[in-house]
Order: sequence, then C-alpha cells, then structure tokens
Amino acid sequence: MSPEVLVFDILAIIAVMAGAGVVLARNPVHSAMALVVTFVNLAGIFVLLRAEFLAAVQIIVYTGAILVIVLFVIMLVDQDDLPEFHGGKPVQRVMGLLIGLMLLGEVAAAVLTRTVVGQPGPWTEEAVLAAGGNVQVLGQFMYSGWVLPVQTIAVVLLVGTIGALVLARPDASPATPRGRTTQTISLGHPRGADGELSLPLPKAGDMATPRRDPRGERRGGLVMVKDNESYSDVPAWDPDDGAGSGSERGWRGKGRRDE
Amino acid sequence: MVADQPLWITFTFAFIVLNALLGAMAYMTWLERKVIALMQDRIGPNRTGPFGLLQPIADGIKLLGKEDLVPKFADKRIFVIAPLISFVTAPLAALVIPFGETVTVFGREVRLYVTDINVAVLYILAVGSVGVYGIILGGYASANRYSLLGALRSAAQVISYEIVLGMSLVGVFIVSGSLSLVTIMNNQRQPLELFGSGIEIPGWYIFYQPIGFVIFIVAAVAETNRAPFDLPEAETELISGFHTEYSGFRFSFYFLAEYISMIVISLLAATLFLGGILGPIADGVWWLVLKAMIFLFFYIWLRATLPRFRYDQLMGIAWKVLLPLALANILYTGLLRLRANGAISIWPFLIVSMGLVIVIIAGFLTTSSGRREERVA
Repeated sequence: MSPEVLVFDILAIIAVMAGAGVVLARNPVHSAMALVVTFVNLAGIFVLLRAEFLAAVQIIVYTGAILVIVLFVIMLVDQDDLPEFHGGKPVQRVMGLLIGLMLLGEVAAAVLTRTVVGQPGPWTEEAVLAAGGNVQVLGQFMYSGWVLPVQTIAVVLLVGTIGALVLARPDASPATPRGRTTQTISLGHPRGADGELSLPLPKAGDMATPRRDPRGERRGGLVMVKDNESYSDVPAWDPDDGAGSGSERGWRGKGRRDE
Repeated sequence: MVADQPLWITFTFAFIVLNALLGAMAYMTWLERKVIALMQDRIGPNRTGPFGLLQPIADGIKLLGKEDLVPKFADKRIFVIAPLISFVTAPLAALVIPFGETVTVFGREVRLYVTDINVAVLYILAVGSVGVYGIILGGYASANRYSLLGALRSAAQVISYEIVLGMSLVGVFIVSGSLSLVTIMNNQRQPLELFGSGIEIPGWYIFYQPIGFVIFIVAAVAETNRAPFDLPEAETELISGFHTEYSGFRFSFYFLAEYISMIVISLLAATLFLGGILGPIADGVWWLVLKAMIFLFFYIWLRATLPRFRYDQLMGIAWKVLLPLALANILYTGLLRLRANGAISIWPFLIVSMGLVIVIIAGFLTTSSGRREERVA
C-alpha cells in the first residue's frame, strides 16, 4: 500500500466517522464540531488530489465562515428552548431517510459514470502544469468562460441575504400583549439589547431552581450565598416598587420582591 | 511543492522553526512588559535574572504549577480540547514563511522554508480561521455567560476581519501574480523606479500597495485579538471573556497561541509587504527578524497607547470603512495592472479612477453624517 493510499484511508475513515457523529451527537455544538472534523479531513483529501486551492477555500469558507455562523446561532439560542434534537414525526424520519438515500444514489451515479466507466477529461496533470498551475487554470476558467454563472450566483446570494434580512426584521406593530420581555443578547449596544422578544411570565422564584438540559445534568442554577430572606426588600438604588418596565423585573424582581 | 530534499531534513527544519517560535514567544512577553513599563515610566520585570530575562521561564513554571480547574457545569470534552485547537493552529502558519533561500549545511543543500505550496497565503488564512474555534468553543464550554459573550464577540470579530484581511491581500496577488510566499518574496527583488526619475527604491509591495498595507495591519491587529481590538477578552467588561474559567496550563495555551499568532502575522506582513529577507546590504533572515520586530513593537505600542474600541465601532470599522476601501483598492489595482499592460487607454482609466475617488469620499461623508444623527437621537 502506497503512503498516499494509506493517508487517504485514514482521512476517509475519520471523515465518515465524523459525518456519523454529526447525525448522532446529542448536543448541537458537538454536531457542529464533528462537521468541522469532516470538513478538515475532506480538505486533506483535496490536498491529496493536488487541489490545494480547493482545500484552502473549503476550510476558509465552510469551516471558517459558515460553520462559525452556525455555531454563533446555536450558542445564542438557549439550549433549553431548542426543540427536541432527535425528535421528529415518523413521516419526517422516513422522508429524511429517503432524501439521504437519493443523495447517496446521486453521488454513486456520479462516481460510477465519471471515474469508473467515463473517460478522463482534457485537464490532465501535464495540461494543468503547462497552464501555470491549479490556481491559474481555475482563475482563467472562472473569470473568462464562466463569468456569467459566477456573477449570477453572486446576485442570487445577495438576494438571499436581503430576503433573510427582510424576513428577520421585527414586526413594527405590537400585536400581542407583552408578558415578561427578555432581550436578545446584544454584543454591541451599550444598553445591552437590540430588540425585545416576548416570553411567557416566569413563575416566582424560578431563578433559584436549576433548569435541566437535555443531557439531564443540572446547569444554569443560581447559587445562593444567602437565602432569600436575608436580602433587604428594597435595594438602595431603587427606592420605588417594582413598577418599572418588564425587563427590569426580569433582572431583579424575582424571588424577593414577590414575597 | 516538489520534494527535492529528504523528508527528514524538512521535518528537522520544521522542528527548529516551531521551537524558535516558542522561544520568540516567551521573550515577546518579556519585551512587551519591558516596553510597556518604559512607556508608563515604570521599570518592568527586573527580579529574575539580569534585566528580568528569566521572567518568562519563571512564568512558565508558575503556570505549570497552577491547579487545573474544570468548572462543574462545563462541557468537559470541549473544554479540554478548545485551548489545544488554538495552540496547535497558531504556529502552523509559520511553515510556509520563507526564512531564506537555501544554505549548504554539511555539504547538503537545505531550503530555508519548510514548504512552498502554491496557495501559501490562503493556507495561512485557512489555518487562522480554524484557530477561531479554540476561542469560540472555549467560551461556550465554560458554561459562563461572560465567556460566552467573549466567544460570540470573537466569532463576529474574526469573521468580519478575516474578510478584510483576505481582501487587503488581493492587491498583492494582482501585483505579484502568485499566491506562493516564496514567489511573492522573490518578485520584490525588482527595484522600483520612482516616476522615471532614476531614483530607485526597493520594490517592496508596501510601495505598490500602501492602502492594502494599512488595511492589512489594522485587520491583523483585530484578527489576533490585540488591543485596541481585544474585545473578546476585554478584562474590564467581560472579566477576560472566553478564558475566564481557564487556569493553569490550559490558560497558558491561549496565552501562547495569542503571542505566536502575533509573531506569525508579523512575519507574514514583513514577507508580503516589506520584502521579507531582502535587505539593503546582505539578504538574510536577520532582515526578516528586524522587520517582524518593528511590527511587534508596533503591536505593543498600540496596546500602550490606544483605548479599547466600543463594539459597534469595531464592527463599523470593518464593514463600513475597511471593506469598501479594500474593494476599491482591488478595483484600482486591477485598473493599474490593465493600464500597465496597455489593455486600456488613458481616458477610461482616468475617468474610472476619478469615479472611485468620488465614491469613496461620498461614502465617508454619508457614514460620518449618519453617525452624528445617531449621537443626537
């Protein structure tokens, strides 16, 4: 076995195992990490195939940008608010299985028709070297003959981005009466919030009871150094009652002023 | 690319490079403390050894001896892996930086770069983008709100500035016609003649790409999470952000990674824009080290001088100022290239150039006026 085949085998096995990990992991962040491992190993396979440019772009675009954004979203959402991760109706499961099989069939068809019975294309290793290398050939192709498709994809992506922005804009009219309002975490705004989400009112004292995460471990509970009674009723900086806005009650009103 | 020397020589050289980086990193911390002390009219470390030169070793031993804490609610596996991701990816980028041409050691030709891949610069960007995971996952796994905020800030910041960093380099690629660092360095040997006056200056790309250079430097500071862009670890607002919960040697992995990526990005800047090992009298690795030292001093100087940015300012700079400037720079470099090749005549060139300048000025005027309204509101 030549070393290249050995390296390919290692990369392929790790990639497939990590791919299984994406589906099987209980925690969405673990799934995302397994996907990172898959991508990095795929990039390694690209390098073995002498497609260094593709490997670098694979890592920069998928690992460095898209998955970071996916992680960003997963981490912004409280995991207790996520729907059951491995739930789904039987119909969904069957459909998922069918679509997966279809994809597998497509890949198999491509492999069988191209690499097993098909003829090699015009871009042999010598032809690529004569043109100056992978990057040069790719650049000449994409920005001469394929300029229109590339630009079309760019425009489609732009439209998609604008569409997502429009859909994600908060509704201007206050349609529903507000319960407790929590704020989306803002990374930049000095007052800490970009907008408001409305959530159902919490029960008194729920800050002191730990919530359970899907793995069944206690997390996020408030550790009380003193018990509730030993706090003074009225904080020094807020002589009034708790008639402030909902968000204020969300921060400090629980558990002590309700008594 | 081509394996023209035995593998063990390459591995030995890679080993030397990585260890030199670690040593340089240790004394980078010493240098930083001394320089900042100087700027703040203090003495700095002076107890351990002459001029405090043994301080990094003492620090290392101290960090090794600290208790290794894992928070109770932490996601333990990820908590353990995250600092390693940062630490492993940081020095990888140094493997493509040319430290010289070839030297003859014991009658053998040895290349002074580990490898010369044809997408070296993209490789560095890719390695940097994997390194972000160390920060994000560390912040997530700590089960601490401050750490999570630091991680999210870092994710947003690094994605934004990575785009800017990549865009600022496109001009260099257009001028040199290559993505390989060795080729880019060798292309800078050709001296540049100043407007046909007969005066020759070094053909470094900083003279071809001054705007690209400035954008690169700003983005590089942000990409390495250094002051004034150290929002992810803002000690005053986020109690150190993503590494709040880390202690002992796991903390020092983050620390090492930060300084190593500083050194690597300084070497990269020196190679891309300042000619790398090329110098006035004799080419050699000393020029590269000197140029990188200038960048490192600049980093320290920034930290001692500038206050931290606010988060919206940080994002505003990336998306509203640097990215449009970088795009304009790419467009203009392409135009210059076409003009130099004689592909377009002088009038279209001048008209498009004027248009670019007008668009940039108009853009800056509108964004600054927008900011003023915000302040009034």
